[in-house]
Amino acid sequence: MQWALEQFSMADDLGFDWVTVAEHHFSPFSLTPNPMVMAGALTQRIRRAKIALLGPNIPIQNPVRVAEEFAMLDTLTGGRVVAGMLRGTSNEYVTYNINPAESRGRFDEALQIIRRAWTEPQPFGWWGRYYEYRSISIWPRPVQQPHPPIYMSGSSPESAELAARNQIGLGFAVTSVPLASKSAKLYRQVANEVGWSPRPEDVIYRVGIHVAATDDQAFDELQSIPADGATRLSRANPVIDDAVAQAGYYGRDREHQQSRAMLNRGAEFADKLRDGQQLAGSPETVMDQICNVHHELGAGVLDLIFRGPDRDSTRRSIELFANKVLPRIHELN
Amino acid sequence: MAIERANSTHTEPSQFREKYVDADGFHIRYLEAGTGAPLVHFHGAGGLRLSRSHERLAQTHRVILFEVPGFGNSPTNERFESIEDLGRTMTEAITHLGIDRFNLMGNSFGGKLALWTALQVPERILSLVLVAPAAILPDNHVQDALTRRLSTPSRTELEARMASFQPAVLVVWGTDDRMIPSEMGRVYVEKLPTAFFVLLYDAGHEADADRPEAFADLVTEFIERGAGFVVNRRSGVVHP
Repeated sequence: MQWALEQFSMADDLGFDWVTVAEHHFSPFSLTPNPMVMAGALTQRIRRAKIALLGPNIPIQNPVRVAEEFAMLDTLTGGRVVAGMLRGTSNEYVTYNINPAESRGRFDEALQIIRRAWTEPQPFGWWGRYYEYRSISIWPRPVQQPHPPIYMSGSSPESAELAARNQIGLGFAVTSVPLASKSAKLYRQVANEVGWSPRPEDVIYRVGIHVAATDDQAFDELQSIPADGATRLSRANPVIDDAVAQAGYYGRDREHQQSRAMLNRGAEFADKLRDGQQLAGSPETVMDQICNVHHELGAGVLDLIFRGPDRDSTRRSIELFANKVLPRIHELN
Repeated sequence: MAIERANSTHTEPSQFREKYVDADGFHIRYLEAGTGAPLVHFHGAGGLRLSRSHERLAQTHRVILFEVPGFGNSPTNERFESIEDLGRTMTEAITHLGIDRFNLMGNSFGGKLALWTALQVPERILSLVLVAPAAILPDNHVQDALTRRLSTPSRTELEARMASFQPAVLVVWGTDDRMIPSEMGRVYVEKLPTAFFVLLYDAGHEADADRPEAFADLVTEFIERGAGFVVNRRSGVVHP
């Protein structure tokens, strides 16, 4: 966790636009079961960059609490919070004993409650399908008006449609550029149908990255990282993932969604690079890869996971990126 | 006559019976079912309709749905110049049914009528439920001929009267209302001393018909507990 904080500070000092934290349970993969706590710590370290929460898993949380905590973070940062709203991976539903079949219904409703809690100037009650409140009145109010920018994850067609209908940003993670392009296309199509056009900054692509002085060095270092083994989320818990899938978590393209979690496993390194599942190489090569993501997906935001074989190489990778690539991305935008 | 319910594939026969009452020179049609504390209802500009929520409310209350003079098959009503006049007629009709104190509910235009009626006889109001009321409208709202004619007294006078209205008021609005935006609900909270604004998720302008069970449960709890409704009294025990 201290290492994570060190990287966040580096990113802030080196001119990155935002740092992100996410919520995950049930495995040692991501040690922020409450991203709000981590973001609270970041408000006291990150002086310039935005703090993006991508995000709380809103169907398993109390939405009023989520609205309150975001508003607190927005106040603590003077309006530098980005509000991602996620459904989470299958394992989260076991942790908090929530029926995964109801996750989309809960998500849709919780999203509306949170938005309303930020914008209603008078106390209001909520008589929903999954949530009931007699009177909601959150304090503090968000600094950003009417509310912080909202994103949701959008790998499934249902999510892409929901984001478009609610006029919010869309984020992709654990996917490939060809797969994400399909959803992004649907997102833009539905958005146009309901009367708005997403901007590049409305689309986020999250991907692992490693930068070194040369392509060969970057590829060698990356391929020397041992496989994760049984530490990662749903992949580490196939019994749970299957049970959650059978309960109806994955929606209308279940097979694709369930296999998406397996994308990185077994794929050839060259294929991963080709499909944008991993960015790696010299600054020049990485810039080309980023241009491809930008071109194919229309993504205006890259959420990068820097990971090398050790901390020193990861630090060097972050610095190289900040010095040689980041200025060119800013020119691109 | 057969009584049809709005927005419903429900096939059970209605418990409501059609009746008439004379008041202020009008022969007023109404539907009635149930026993218990009276719950009087005024419909919207689309006219009298019955929803499953009314059937459910009639399990615990004496529910009376009036057809306001000028709507349905009643003769065209050109007598009134203000909504207050209409409110007085409706109050007389309620009195003629032998009812002293009552819960009052209205949808849309009926919400406006219910509010003005309640302001005239606050001492007789047990509770007031306004469903997407048309009493205070956005500036760009388009009204039909009858409701436009009944647009006096002014909003200024209405708000002045609301400030001293003591009974508890529930303002219910469907989150998907396309006729009057649910954001208008906040105005009633600002102007009334004791008002609760509740958003009915996934319901439109006819919120009672769109989510009848949820709506009826909300209204039942409010009219039984008044302002105390704001506290959830259901147990959270999972395994006793």
